[in-house]
Amino acid sequence: MTGQREKMENMMMPSSIQRFLQRRAIVTLTLTAALVLSLAPSFFIAPAFADDPMSVVKTTVDQALDVLRDTQTPLAQRQDKLRQIVSATFDFTEMAKSALGYHWKQITPAQQQEFTNAFVAFIEDSYLSKINEYNGQQVSFLRVSNEGPQYSQVATDIVQPKGEPIHVNYRLLQENGTWKIYDVTVDSISIIANYRNQFNRVMNNSGYNTLISDLKSKQAALAASLANH
Amino acid sequence: MESQMRSGAKQIERTGALWAMLASSLLAVVSFATPALSQDAAPLSSNPAAQSAAAAQTPPGENTGVYSDPFSGFNEPMFTFNLKLDDWVLRPVASGYSFIAPEPVREGVGRFFDNARVIPRFANNLFQLKLAEASTEVARFGINSTLGLAGFFDPAQELFGLEQHPNDFGLTIRYYNIPTGPYIMLPFFGPSTVGDTIGLVADGAMNPMDYLLPTWITITVSAGQRASEAVNYRSLHMNQFEEADRYAIDLYGAVQDAYLQTRDHEVKKLHDEQW
Repeated sequence: MTGQREKMENMMMPSSIQRFLQRRAIVTLTLTAALVLSLAPSFFIAPAFADDPMSVVKTTVDQALDVLRDTQTPLAQRQDKLRQIVSATFDFTEMAKSALGYHWKQITPAQQQEFTNAFVAFIEDSYLSKINEYNGQQVSFLRVSNEGPQYSQVATDIVQPKGEPIHVNYRLLQENGTWKIYDVTVDSISIIANYRNQFNRVMNNSGYNTLISDLKSKQAALAASLANH
Repeated sequence: MESQMRSGAKQIERTGALWAMLASSLLAVVSFATPALSQDAAPLSSNPAAQSAAAAQTPPGENTGVYSDPFSGFNEPMFTFNLKLDDWVLRPVASGYSFIAPEPVREGVGRFFDNARVIPRFANNLFQLKLAEASTEVARFGINSTLGLAGFFDPAQELFGLEQHPNDFGLTIRYYNIPTGPYIMLPFFGPSTVGDTIGLVADGAMNPMDYLLPTWITITVSAGQRASEAVNYRSLHMNQFEEADRYAIDLYGAVQDAYLQTRDHEVKKLHDEQW
């Protein structure tokens, strides 16, 4: 059994060397490009224009990874930090509105506010509850597709120590010059669309009061499990 | 005498298959012919509020329409049944099995089942005129069945870089833009659509063993195979429902949407769309 594994690894050696060489070439190329680009703006554009979809996603994810990796700081502080990072780039109001679909216009403005708050708390706690599951995952930023002047999508992979990578895409919307995330897809399943189907069913079967109380009780359960850690 | 009996059994089997095909095509015709039942027609046109919402600007990738679910009266109890089945049978058995068999073994078993189902993958790639993918499937089967010890290992991928090209008849239907029909929650098999159920029957009919062996054997064997495959899969995804339920407000809706979005994405990938 071990003999076979060794043999398989030996046979894979050439391709891994090849990959290493390719990677080295890419790194050199990237460094050169970075050097050129870092000089370029001083000649052409006055302000450093950092606010493009890719850098928004990259900054957010890198900051979040720093918090996840930092196991020294107490959990409560890390959660606060994570909450700040996420709320800076996620357009929660747009997410709540989109998740409720056409029912959004059927509820009162007060209910819209109540629903948005409950949904934001629920989504935040969903992400925070993943904080203890982190064990060395890396994120690679793959590509950007611009979908009109206002919309953009950034593709990333969460590379796990073991098993297949998880494909995570961020959908962004430009409002007043800043890019904000309005949806996330995990293995090509849109999270907001998934909640939209759930909320639509609850609204049609039992109405707004059930939806808001279900949402609040699920969020309370998540918050309780967070407090237990 | 014996050969007469055998041909009799074969006759019964053929009639059975014919009936299954007839019943599923009748179901398909009924659901496609009735506009209210067709997946694409119902939601936007029947709801004025949804219509005005759709008229407003929709961000890319977002769909303001909602799924129609004409079979929900059947689907919802079936969903509960499947959850109970998982709770009472599949999960306990899978957890016992994962206690006995270490993870690498279970992963090998998963690859074995995967390797054995080469024919539908090959045939459907062929139906979609994906000749390179179809021949890759043949090559993978040849390599993994021999070098890969009957499929327990995947040297085709690891040594030769030959990736699997998953495909099925439900995808072939979608590939040619034939509507897949309403959502159905099948007992034992889980989420599906009318088109995917027809696909399941069609792909199942491609097993050559079914035509060579007596019916009772093929039924027993395929049921046993299906069950052990389910146990093996479940043992590798031990907390999948607990996870899903924690983050779901309405679990039925979450599963329904995840299934339909995934199938949608699979067919986009077959059309070589990157996103």
